[in-house]
Amino acid sequence: MTDDRLLEVRDLEVEFTTRDGVVRALNGVSYGVDAGETLAVLGESGSGKSVTAQAIMGILDMPPGRITGGEILFQGRDLLGLGAEERRKIRGPKMAMIFQDALSSLNPVLSVGFQLGEMFRVHRGASRKEAKERAVELMERVRIPAARQRVNDYPHEFSGGMRQRIMIAMALALEPDLIIADEPTTALDVTVQAQVMDLLADLQREYRMGLILITHDLGVVADTADRIAVMYAGRIVENAPVKELYAAPAHPYTKGLLDSIPRLDQKGGQLYAISGLPPNLLHVPDGCPFHPRCPRARDRCRTDLPPLYAVSERAAGGAADATAEAAEAAAADAAHDDIARVPEVGERSSACHYWKETVDDARRA
Amino acid sequence: MADTTREPILEVRNLVKHFPLTQGIVFRRQVGAVRAVDDISFTLYPGETLGIVGESGCGKSTVAKLLMNLERATSGEVLYKGEDISKLSGRALKAVRRNIQMVFQDPYTSLNPRMTVGDIIGEPFDIHPEAAPKGDKQARVRELLDVVGLNPEYINRYPHQFSGGQRQRIGIARGLALNPEIIICDEPVSALDVSVQAQVINLMEKLQDEFGLSYLFIAHDLSIVRHISDRVGVMYLGKMVEIGSDAAIYDHPTHPYTQALLSAVPLPDPDAREGRERIILTGDVPSPANPPSGCRFRTRCWKAEERCAEEMPLLAVPQRYAGADTAVAHDSACHFAEEKQHVAHA
Repeated sequence: MTDDRLLEVRDLEVEFTTRDGVVRALNGVSYGVDAGETLAVLGESGSGKSVTAQAIMGILDMPPGRITGGEILFQGRDLLGLGAEERRKIRGPKMAMIFQDALSSLNPVLSVGFQLGEMFRVHRGASRKEAKERAVELMERVRIPAARQRVNDYPHEFSGGMRQRIMIAMALALEPDLIIADEPTTALDVTVQAQVMDLLADLQREYRMGLILITHDLGVVADTADRIAVMYAGRIVENAPVKELYAAPAHPYTKGLLDSIPRLDQKGGQLYAISGLPPNLLHVPDGCPFHPRCPRARDRCRTDLPPLYAVSERAAGGAADATAEAAEAAAADAAHDDIARVPEVGERSSACHYWKETVDDARRA
Repeated sequence: MADTTREPILEVRNLVKHFPLTQGIVFRRQVGAVRAVDDISFTLYPGETLGIVGESGCGKSTVAKLLMNLERATSGEVLYKGEDISKLSGRALKAVRRNIQMVFQDPYTSLNPRMTVGDIIGEPFDIHPEAAPKGDKQARVRELLDVVGLNPEYINRYPHQFSGGQRQRIGIARGLALNPEIIICDEPVSALDVSVQAQVINLMEKLQDEFGLSYLFIAHDLSIVRHISDRVGVMYLGKMVEIGSDAAIYDHPTHPYTQALLSAVPLPDPDAREGRERIILTGDVPSPANPPSGCRFRTRCWKAEERCAEEMPLLAVPQRYAGADTAVAHDSACHFAEEKQHVAHA
């Protein structure tokens, strides 16, 4: 673990009580972010990526939600042990969030200048005039043209890309150490998405912020992330540096996602499709939650829930020139790994019993 | 595969749709118009997939509605097998609509929550009794469910009992019910999860081969459009700016907007991050109520010169490539159309 570790989520568990029963939205999620680093959290709808973010920010709806276990260490302090007032002092100055839909996240009856200035008035005790002045500065920083003329405009008077810039400006206002961006560009067109991601990357570099980027877009992830955490059915299934993950995914779900991107050489042919549907969280399958959709599923997957295994270069790698002897040694290693090696938060890891084969197959291809 | 030597099945000529902007309550005066679609022409051949891409507000969905006659065109013609259908009404229109069906974007709102799946898929037969199967309608609905990969036992379920991908399959089954020749798909997979998108795309390709359908495939996801399309048209602010085969558009784009659009698509390859040149456009799309003079892209274009403000570029093969027998020689509406080297893209 580095000294730079800004945020560490450990074994976070969240449940929602619904009419149909208790939904276990998160089943032991762990990930970490260093200062200046971008962690992409990748997953489909319902995988729990937004719930994790809300739990970190302390904006989870409770009830129906309930944090039943785990800890969220932010700059060494466990946030879950803090009171509401202390959490509020962290939200804004220390960590901030950018939401997906800027139009519904901004108050339609207040001018954007007022909403931006609110950060300074509430947290810094600035006067209205000061706050507006700072709002103009912020709008200039996120490259909104004619900021001084537009500071009194209302959210509906801005285009989608400009509104998202205002959201970014609001998150940046107090120069937090951590920003959580929940699908910041999903609602935007590609040319505008490029502008917004570019801006976000520049600002992150300037302030050396940690960034958690929640998305389902594999392109955006490849373009911006340093590390990736892949979520499925309320668990982290793979955790890896971006280049290693794209080069050789260690979990069949990640591999399926990467393979389902249309590629040039498949033109006219079938796209690879992960069969089946994401599981209903009320009835998560026994064993590995991915096993009904997994091409590698074996008996063990149907009964044993795979923990996160540490993926080491030593054990995988060199599959191409592996002799029978080496393969045996690797198998012994695997057995050893099963019981002994619990990966540290942030280390490359995969929640698949057969991650080794998955990595090796990917390398060979 | 498309057979371009045959007669086009659908031909769009100079299609225009202006939505009037009015002022006043009693005496409504027209003060302007939103030029959603402004003079667009293209053709669709039997068995072909024509992809239409563009950003939100460029008029691609309006084109779909105009082809379905859900909106009346301000001017221009839509020729279905040589017959202009844009001015038809009543029985004649209904007869044509049998052959042109639509699959909508949002599978959550395009299915009536109070109707069972059987009713939804069977409804086209009530509207077009002449096309209904003789005898057992239910059997045909079950068959359709099977064709789109759903369990025929689900016939009495309601839409809320299905996931997004399954609902989109129901929407596709409804589109197929009347054995149409053309299916217009308006963003059919953009509301679906990544892992489910591929399933639906595969299904659509399978159905095309099986029934010889022609697709007009409207989407903003450039990599999916490339995968499924034989030809691609790029729209910007109500105009078609470039159209050609998929290789022409993706490998040899000559219009600056297409180049910028392709370069803005994030690549799923972290190694390509450093090396590639990206064109980041400045500013936003201008309002279609008051589009720029001349070339509509000139306000955001890095090549713009005086001529672009005065003269509207025509959609034609650029002069410098005229006569060339390569993919570069395709229609592009730019005075300075030129292939740009090293445009990395999806």
